[in-house]
Amino acid sequence: MISARTLVARAAPWLACLGLLAVWQVGALALKNDSFPTALQALRAVPAIVSDKEAIINILASLRRMSIGFGAAVLVSIPLGLLMGRNRAVASFFNPLLMVVYPVPKAALMPIIMLWIGVGDLSKTLVIFLGVSLPVIYHSFEGARAVEEKMLWSGAAMGLSAAERMLRIVLPAALPEILTGCRTGLVLALITMVTSEMIARQSGAGNILFNALDMGEYEIVYAMIIIIGAMGICFDAMFELMRARLVRWSEPQFDIPLSFS
Amino acid sequence: MNARTAIVDLLLGLVPLALLVALWQALVSFGYAPATLLPPPGLVFMRLAQQLVSLTFQHEIAATLFRLFAGFSIAVVFGVGIGLAAAASPPVNAVIRPLVRVLAPLPKVALYPALLLLLGFGHESKITLVAADALFPILLSTYYGASTVEQKLIWSALAAGTSPRAVLFKVVLPGAAPSILTGCRIGLVISCVVVFLAEMIASTDGLGHVLVTAARTFRAVDMFVPLIMISLLGLVLNGLLQGVRSYLLRGFPEV
Repeated sequence: MISARTLVARAAPWLACLGLLAVWQVGALALKNDSFPTALQALRAVPAIVSDKEAIINILASLRRMSIGFGAAVLVSIPLGLLMGRNRAVASFFNPLLMVVYPVPKAALMPIIMLWIGVGDLSKTLVIFLGVSLPVIYHSFEGARAVEEKMLWSGAAMGLSAAERMLRIVLPAALPEILTGCRTGLVLALITMVTSEMIARQSGAGNILFNALDMGEYEIVYAMIIIIGAMGICFDAMFELMRARLVRWSEPQFDIPLSFS
Repeated sequence: MNARTAIVDLLLGLVPLALLVALWQALVSFGYAPATLLPPPGLVFMRLAQQLVSLTFQHEIAATLFRLFAGFSIAVVFGVGIGLAAAASPPVNAVIRPLVRVLAPLPKVALYPALLLLLGFGHESKITLVAADALFPILLSTYYGASTVEQKLIWSALAAGTSPRAVLFKVVLPGAAPSILTGCRIGLVISCVVVFLAEMIASTDGLGHVLVTAARTFRAVDMFVPLIMISLLGLVLNGLLQGVRSYLLRGFPEV
């Protein structure tokens, strides 16, 4: 009985995928629009793209830029966020700057950055870095701020230095929140990746997508949407697995539905 | 004492902004960057002031704001509604949860070409994109907020004779309000970003379009103006939301 229930829980995301594709298929059949192929037609175009060598090189280049940008952003943002959360002066130093930068779409900086350092990998990676770092800083900041003072006091009383307290108390305590930020950052990295390649049409998955749109190859457009969407879902699922492992202790509280009976 | 620390904080916060502008000015005036690539800050802010009073630029801002608000309001209504429903009823939750699991990490910008083809180049496709992107943070934080409302409060309300429907609006919704408003804040920032991007990709008006036309004609000054404008819009909207928040949460101990 229990195994049947977990089986259903495991299968639910797949069922949701199938359901969405079915809705798409029915919608496309009902609309009969030339620029809106059915889900099956789009899915049939996927293998052609995945087996095309040039497309694979493009997509891998995108993924490389994304992982470098994401990795660098996480490495810089977590220490900064934690420091901001524990130190008032640092927080009030950086907060207004971050508030000003946050609503600026990072991919919109692309045209300006392109003028300075060209259309190559560096400018796109930089844009991804900027896009990822803000949510990670914000969530690390919130997480570090919410650490219980008593734990820090006891740590200090037991002779931990400030750096050790940061590493052994604040970092683990803020980890769930930090990982929430990283998850948002991951989705943002994908978004920024696609848009930066849309603006600097040179290589990458976004380039294929928007070139196909301009050429009117609608099946490729939708096939690319499926591929990019699948990438997003896979990354998220992988990250979720890792997160569940790292912060097993903080999990259950969200999964209890409210009862009204 | 409190006012003094607030002033110190404010001054401390102005330092990096001032440093940024100073660095910018220094780069230009010491000749590290040619003025065609990096116009001096004075020129950019002058141009911004000049543009702000011009009617065409005001039209662009109005177009952007309209799309932003329309998309954001749709996202708030659906996000809070679906989030509450999922927290309150297990069957709804069973349907919504896997759908959210699949749709939330999907990069919505990749859907934009499809939206363009289906809804056209007008307001509709942009508003839909903004709503789709702002929906999930609001939905998730509503759901989390509503499911962490203390069960004892609900039981006591039920014991006092409140109907389950009334409990939803009188206990759960206010209890989830802080979390919902945090989600709205994230959703608002995302709306700012997305509306700009959508206008950059395909539009005939709006701030994003201003940036793209400036980039195509290599007018660096005009490229900075819409960027600063969207940053200002974000700040103002964030401030407004903060005001709404402190009004709505006036009974809460810690805001």
